Amino acid sequence: MTSSRARRWLLAVVLPIVAVALWQAAGTDGSLAGGALPTPDRVWSAWITWAFGHAGPMTLSPYVGTWAGAVGHSAERVAKGFAVAILLGVPLGVLIGWSRLVSAMVDPTIQWLRPVPITAWLPISLAIFGIRDFGAIFLITIGAFYPIVINTTQGARDVEKNWIRAALMMGAQPLDILRRVVLPAALPSIFTGLRIGLGIGWTAVIVAEMVAVKSGLGYVLWDAYYVGRMDIVIADMVSIGLFGFLSDWAIVRLELWALDWRRLQSFNQ
Amino acid sequence: MGTIQFSSVCKTYPGGILALENVDFTVGEGEFVALLGPSGCGKSTLLNLIAGFETLSDGRMSFNGNRVTKPGPDRGVVFQEASLLPWLNVWENVVFGPKVQKTPREIYEPRAREILRIMGLEKFHETLPVQLSGGMRQRVGIARALVMQPKALLMDEPFGALDAQTRLSMQELLLDIWQSLKTTVLFVTHDIDEAILLADRVCVMTARPGRITRDIRIDLPRPRSIDTLTSSEFTTYKAMIMAEMRGLHAHH
Repeated sequence: MTSSRARRWLLAVVLPIVAVALWQAAGTDGSLAGGALPTPDRVWSAWITWAFGHAGPMTLSPYVGTWAGAVGHSAERVAKGFAVAILLGVPLGVLIGWSRLVSAMVDPTIQWLRPVPITAWLPISLAIFGIRDFGAIFLITIGAFYPIVINTTQGARDVEKNWIRAALMMGAQPLDILRRVVLPAALPSIFTGLRIGLGIGWTAVIVAEMVAVKSGLGYVLWDAYYVGRMDIVIADMVSIGLFGFLSDWAIVRLELWALDWRRLQSFNQ
Repeated sequence: MGTIQFSSVCKTYPGGILALENVDFTVGEGEFVALLGPSGCGKSTLLNLIAGFETLSDGRMSFNGNRVTKPGPDRGVVFQEASLLPWLNVWENVVFGPKVQKTPREIYEPRAREILRIMGLEKFHETLPVQLSGGMRQRVGIARALVMQPKALLMDEPFGALDAQTRLSMQELLLDIWQSLKTTVLFVTHDIDEAILLADRVCVMTARPGRITRDIRIDLPRPRSIDTLTSSEFTTYKAMIMAEMRGLHAHH
């Protein structure tokens, strides 16, 4: 068990280690591509300064000891936008999946608005919310909402007919059916939606911060590019990847816990 | 009270498929009736109609003299593959009905405990359905129906998916339970032995369109057990029903 786990870890890190080593070897004098890209050692040291450096009164660079703040701003926005997307997407998806009337009334509009990319919502977001947090949260909510509502709908539609019949036979009212049958039955699909939605949430927060707010990893990314700090740009990108990965991992853990019955099911079959 | 009545019942599915044609059929209070026929003869449709899962195309149907419009706890349904809610454990599955009906806990708890004991499930309260064998799962399915104290049990090939050994023990269990409860039972099966062993009446059905062709009273003494299967009267009934079914087959 532990050795197979260690083996998986080893296999997983081979590719990034090789890529970083090649990148390091390809560069001369701390840069490559004619000075456009810093080598990993430069990125690393810039990151250390960004994360742990102490800014004195004379420090002009914004990239000293400000990493945690940038991460915190972005993560908080993702969390808020994602939470709103869940609160809207899950109940709506259950209703669309369960009721033909709601489906006929709401589903076409959703399908029609869905192809509009989150970047296209930027002007409206700026016009309504200005350069404020709400703009970013709005974009994250929109981005995460579609996969959540669509997967929830799918899950609620595919509930086994006999589960619903059994509940009706036992005297369950429509609200009992939704809460005690449709929602738990749709949970596996809902989790699929949550994972995709959270990934899009991270995309949306970076886009929003690049344009619509003055803090967070997206803001730093664009700002560092303007001042030619490609080491910070790369450190920023790696940070986004890391937190996207960690939040996805958290959802998978939650899923394993919530869907214990399902894990046993696939194990027994 | 638990009488079932069908008169001139027709059921047509979209596409014009005639599943049932002019079915006239009654199940009396406390009677155990088996619907016997090949797959696709509409015997499950008949059960789904009286359960309130499907609607009539034509004719009349009543339960206790009242028109059936929707499912309800007065008609406990036992499904083919139990159809338990897989995220709930045995106890939660069994008390689902009383809970959603807002039955007080002090009333349903002792009742559920007693039924689970009779079903031989007292050690499995916390077990999830997936961790149980098919036979055990169906015991939960029966317990879940009985805990609501239904006026009739509607059973849709409940033992069809079980192995022969388990099926026999489940049939014996059902005979014991019915002997003490005397609930009305409508039991759908394609197994001749099972129908004769369990029922007071065996109604033989034919397919396309589904009709009841024979209504045979089974006068085997009760209480019955597995030994009934080897009695000479049993064999006589079996020969008769087999001839009936073969005759029906020949007409096609």
